[in-house]
This record gives sequence, C-alpha cells and structure tokens, in this order.
Amino acid sequence: MGGVSDTIGANFLTAQLDKLVNWARKSSLWPATFGLACCAIEMMATTMPRHDLARFGMEAFRASPRQADLMIVAGRVSQKMAPVLRTIYDQMTEPKWVISMGACASSGGVFNNYALVQGVDQIVPVDIYVPGCPPRPEMLIDGIMLLHEKIKRGEYTAGRVAG
Amino acid sequence: MTVTTIPASEWADRARALHAEGWQVMDLTGLDRLRLTPDGPRFGVVVQLINHASRQRQMIEVAVDGDEPTVPSVTEVWPTVNFMERETYDMYGISFEGHPNLTRILMPDEWEGHPLRKDYGVGKVPVEFIPQPIMQVDSPGQTPGSGSTGIDRDRLGQVVGEGDAP
Amino acid sequence: MTTTEELLTDIEANGHGAFVETFDEQAGRMVINMGPVHPSTHGVLRLMLVIDGETVDECLPVIGYLHTGIEKECEDNNWRGAVTAVTRMDYLANFYNEQVYSMAVEELLDIEIPPRARYIRTLLAEMNRLSSHLVWWGTQGLDMGAMSAMFYGFRERELFLDFFEMVTGLRMNHGFIIPGGVWEDLPLGWERAVKNITDQMPRRIDEYENLLTNNPIFLERTRGIGVLSADDARSLGATGPIARATGIDWDLRRDMPYEAYGDVSFEVPIATEGDVYARYRVRVAEMRQSVKIVEQLAKNMPKGDFRHQDPKLVHPSRREMAHSMEAVIHHFKLSTQGYTVPPGATYAAVESPRGELGAFVVSDGGTSPYRCHVRDPSFVNLQSLSRMVEGGLLADLVASIASTDPIMGGVDR
Repeated sequence: MGGVSDTIGANFLTAQLDKLVNWARKSSLWPATFGLACCAIEMMATTMPRHDLARFGMEAFRASPRQADLMIVAGRVSQKMAPVLRTIYDQMTEPKWVISMGACASSGGVFNNYALVQGVDQIVPVDIYVPGCPPRPEMLIDGIMLLHEKIKRGEYTAGRVAG
Repeated sequence: MTVTTIPASEWADRARALHAEGWQVMDLTGLDRLRLTPDGPRFGVVVQLINHASRQRQMIEVAVDGDEPTVPSVTEVWPTVNFMERETYDMYGISFEGHPNLTRILMPDEWEGHPLRKDYGVGKVPVEFIPQPIMQVDSPGQTPGSGSTGIDRDRLGQVVGEGDAP
Repeated sequence: MTTTEELLTDIEANGHGAFVETFDEQAGRMVINMGPVHPSTHGVLRLMLVIDGETVDECLPVIGYLHTGIEKECEDNNWRGAVTAVTRMDYLANFYNEQVYSMAVEELLDIEIPPRARYIRTLLAEMNRLSSHLVWWGTQGLDMGAMSAMFYGFRERELFLDFFEMVTGLRMNHGFIIPGGVWEDLPLGWERAVKNITDQMPRRIDEYENLLTNNPIFLERTRGIGVLSADDARSLGATGPIARATGIDWDLRRDMPYEAYGDVSFEVPIATEGDVYARYRVRVAEMRQSVKIVEQLAKNMPKGDFRHQDPKLVHPSRREMAHSMEAVIHHFKLSTQGYTVPPGATYAAVESPRGELGAFVVSDGGTSPYRCHVRDPSFVNLQSLSRMVEGGLLADLVASIASTDPIMGGVDR
C-alpha cells in the first residue's frame, strides 16, 4: 500500500497507520506556485471565494518547493523553462505529486512548434492530467479530488520509488 | 497603410531625421521575404512609427540581404528598440551593429537556428537533456567556482565527467 | 575589472546559474537572481539584480521563459484559426488581442464591419479592461501584503467572467472576435447582465478605494516609489497607464479613435508624479471610466448584423446549401482552406489595459497569414522597469513590478 507498510513490514497495524497517514497527506496538500500562463489565472481563481480551494486545505500555495508536496503545472512549458521545472520538481521533498493542468501542460495543447515541450510528462512524472484550455476551476477541483482518491489509496506514479 | 522601403545604408541617417521631426518608434520587427518576393532582398526590418503631434503613423521597411544580414542599430536614437532588436536578432538572425547587448532574448542561449525564418520547420522539437555545470557555492561569502571541489554536476545533481578527488 | 554590463551578459550567456551568481567582496555587491519561479514576479519573469545590501543598483530582466512561438503558429493556421493562437498572447486581455488582429486583417480585406459588430467588440473589450484591471488591483494589493485585495478583485472578476461565458461560451481565451465582426450575436438577456454589472461596479470600486487608496501603509509603500519621468517613458516607449501616470496625455481611444470609441464620451485620467501610487490612481480611475463606457455602449447598441456578410468570408446558411451548388462549394472551401486575403501589409493598434497593442500583419494572397507580429505593450514596458527600480530597495522592486502589470504571455509570445 505504500508508505509505512513498505518500510517497516506489512501487518494489520501498519495498514491502519498507512490509512491514517494517507488521509493526513491528502487533507492538507500544499501546492507549489508553478503558474505559468493562462491556466495560472484559472488556478488563482480556484483559490478565490467563488470556487474555494481552502475547503480542501489547499489554499496555502508555498513559494518554496521544499515546503510543497503538489506541483500543479499550470500553463505552457517552453524549452527555456524546462530545466527550471525539473529543478523545482527535484527540490520538492517526497512524497510529491504532479498535476498537469491544461492542454499545454498535458500534451502541448494548441501549440505544436519548436518552442514548447509537448507535454510536461516529457520531463516530470505526472499523476493527474486536467485537460482544457483553460480548464474551468471546477475541472481543476475535480482533478484534485481524483488525486485525493489516489493518495488515499497510497499510490505513487509508476517509476518513482514509494515511501 | 503605405510602406516605404529603404536600403540598410540609409537607415541610420533616416532614423535621426525622423527622430528630429518628432517620430517615435512603436515597433521594430523582422520579415522573411523568402516566399513573398523571392527575387528581392531576403530580409526586411519593419519599423512602425508614430507622431503624437500630428496623429500620424508610418511604416518603414529596411531591406537587407545576405547570409549574415546586418543593419545599423538605432538604440541611441530611440532606446525603446533595445528589446525589439534583440528579438529580431533571435528570431531572424539579423545583426544590429552598435547594439549594446545583442544576445538571444526569447530562446535559450544555446539554441541553434533562427525560428521565424521561413526555412525553419514548424513541427515540435524534442526536449534535450543537456548536462550543465552547476556553480557550487562551498561556503557563504565565496564566489562560486573559486576553490570549488572540481566536480561538475548536471541539472539532476549527477556527476558529469571525472572530478578531481576532493 | 569587468563592467557590470559585461558581467551580466556573461552570466546570462552561461545559462541559469545558482541563486547567488557572484559576490564581489571588495565592493560588497551581489548579483542575485529573482525568478523565474517567484511568488511576486507576476509570471515567469526572471530579474538579475545587482544589489548592494538592500539597494538595487541594477536590474536586468531576462525573459523568454514563456516563449510559445505563437507568431510561427499563426503562419501555420488559416486567417480565422490564427485568432485562436493570437488570443493566448496577453491572456488577461484576450479580446484586445483578437480585436487588434481582426482590425488588421479587415484593413487588408478592405471591408467595413457593421455598427453592431463594432459596438459588441468595444463592449467586450471594455469589460475585458475592467476584468484585467481587477487582476492588477488584486495582485498589487497582494504584493503589498493586503491579501484581501486579491479576494475582492477576483470576486468581482467572476461577474465579468460569467458575462463572457454567457456571450462567448468561455471564461478566457475566447476566440470570439474574428475578422469580419464577431462570431455570434449577443444572447437574449445580455442587457440585464450588463446592467447588473454596471450597477454594482461603482459601489465596488468605492469599496476598493476605501481599502487601499488612503491607507497609510499603502501610501508609505507606493508614494515616491518606482518613479519614472516623462522623458524616460517617452524614450523607452512606455505606453498605457505607465505613460499616463508620468503626465503623457495620450490614449489611442481618444486621440486616434477606432471601433465604437468615437461614439462614446469618457475621460482619460492623467497623473504627473510617475510613481507607483500615480499608476495606481490612473488605473482605478480608468476602471470607473470603463464602467461609464460600458453603460453608454449598452444603452446605444445598434440593431443589425453582427458580422460582415460576404459569401467569400462567411459560411452560407444550411437552407441556402440545400438548393444552391455554389453555396456548397463555398462552404467546402471555407471549411477546409479558409478565405484568402489580398496581398499587402498593415499595422493596426488598440489601447489595451497595458498600453498600445499593435498587430503587424502581412499577407501574400494566401489562406494563412504570411507574417503576424503582435506589438505587445508589456514587452516594451518591461524596459522601463529597470529605470524605475534602480536606486531603490528590494521591497520597492516588488511594488514596481506589480505596478508595471506585466503579462508574460504577451512579453514572450
């Protein structure tokens, strides 16, 4: 199930502890500020009174990646920005998740040219893809809730070491 | 809108004359005439001017040709064209003589090619993972690189090449 | 001893570098990197600062972190499709991007759009100015520490986004204003929606002024900070509220009227100090004037067509296609290739919330733009940022960036 069970052996007690830890993780997921373009404005709108993100415990966008556990890549990633994205991702501490918000972050979006990375999953492993140009705040919240389910199940994206 | 075309040799003087008459530059950009006028000069530097007093606009195209097209820079006349000339250099490869800092502005510095040229492809370019040395700061107050351990690390922190024993 | 210019160029040419680029022990100056991932830089703006303690000696903006190749993308789309690319440049002022591009293409096509289309475009544009200024106001307050400003600003912005969704179907990146007019007519009930907004906004703007305009902390942080002189603004090409706050009395809507601005009466707010507070006052006053413009446009909206009806440009109706072969052929050509525009080159400009937004469009007679370059105001205004912050403190740098209101999508395109 990931987390504690993997580290100190799986039995009934650690499974319950896992559930507690995963519930704690999903209830207070702090995003790192990675708003790039138009999707960033919709991400900002998601934290605002109309579509309140604070009810999920996520209104605290941490500027320091060391203090964040979720990176919402909101916007188009250019070739110049790609190393910066990777650096910020590396600086985040485990456990960490990535939501690719918008069409440009998921797959290059409406732009297919020399300047953009065609999907941020070329650089970082992505957990949830939220399509749209830009996705409505409700769509982003739906993606976040799916991520919460994923965290509750204790899943990490394939290719990463659990725990 | 009528476009006046002048050769690159006349641009510097014309710019000074226009500035004296009160014309301001709103925009300066490039144009690749490869498929538009295949027989004429390949590149053009298009300048949009405005005169606030007479409420008029003017468009001037500075024709320039060659494998390494060069045009005199007008940053001393109108400081606003600083970024614009850099962008034209970045996107078209047109050099501006006399520009204080003619480097790439929109593309990464190690990018090859000039994207807006008509012979540059439209499709996607895959992400390159280029190992880059990170400057190691060993102690506060020390300039990075002086007395470093001699180990180069790339963006992901992995050692690149052989380092000296610390 | 290398000059600072050479030092900065050298650092920039060598890529990204660490947080502290260099530290000159003798002079006590550091070259510090701010951004591109930074909570206060309004997007992916990277500033290389040469600082001496807390004082900023020099500031070099490094841009290109959001370069999307939109101008190249335009050349790959047809004339109608390029609107969807252009609209994503300055992503807070979508209608302005579309409007300026459409105006340029209409000049090349040599067509006049019907009055209703002009009014609808201007109405949407002015509402877009309001929604863009609300984001500016929110982020200006947030950067000064007044977090509630962000919540208030975005709360009102939702009203505008609801209206845009009602008219265009999308909250942002609409693709609604096209060469020839607008895509669809205004829906039934739009007058009530606009009246709802224009009734509420003056009171809300009063609320905002109550919060910030005479707030002693805000005044301390913005008065005399980030001063730009009128000569500097003129020579560096700053336009929009930045220029008007230095005393330059120039507004394209009044001085070179386009679309429906000739039919409405409004004032152009000017200030003379050129500091952050002056820019703040100018933008808040502009918000009030925009409400007045929207009211006038809604009251005098003419009836008629929302689009220039030319069979070469507009799809024929289904009824027509049922009995006319020509209509079917037109529909086919328009759907697959799009229409052609006679060869030529032109430049059109509008007054966007950040300054003069221009579009330089070249056609070679084909179905897609040969060259579409957008003169973005933020790209040019960013050059005045260095002049504003040199000599000031680091904290004042944050205030100045917020007052410049850069939108990196437009800067990098």
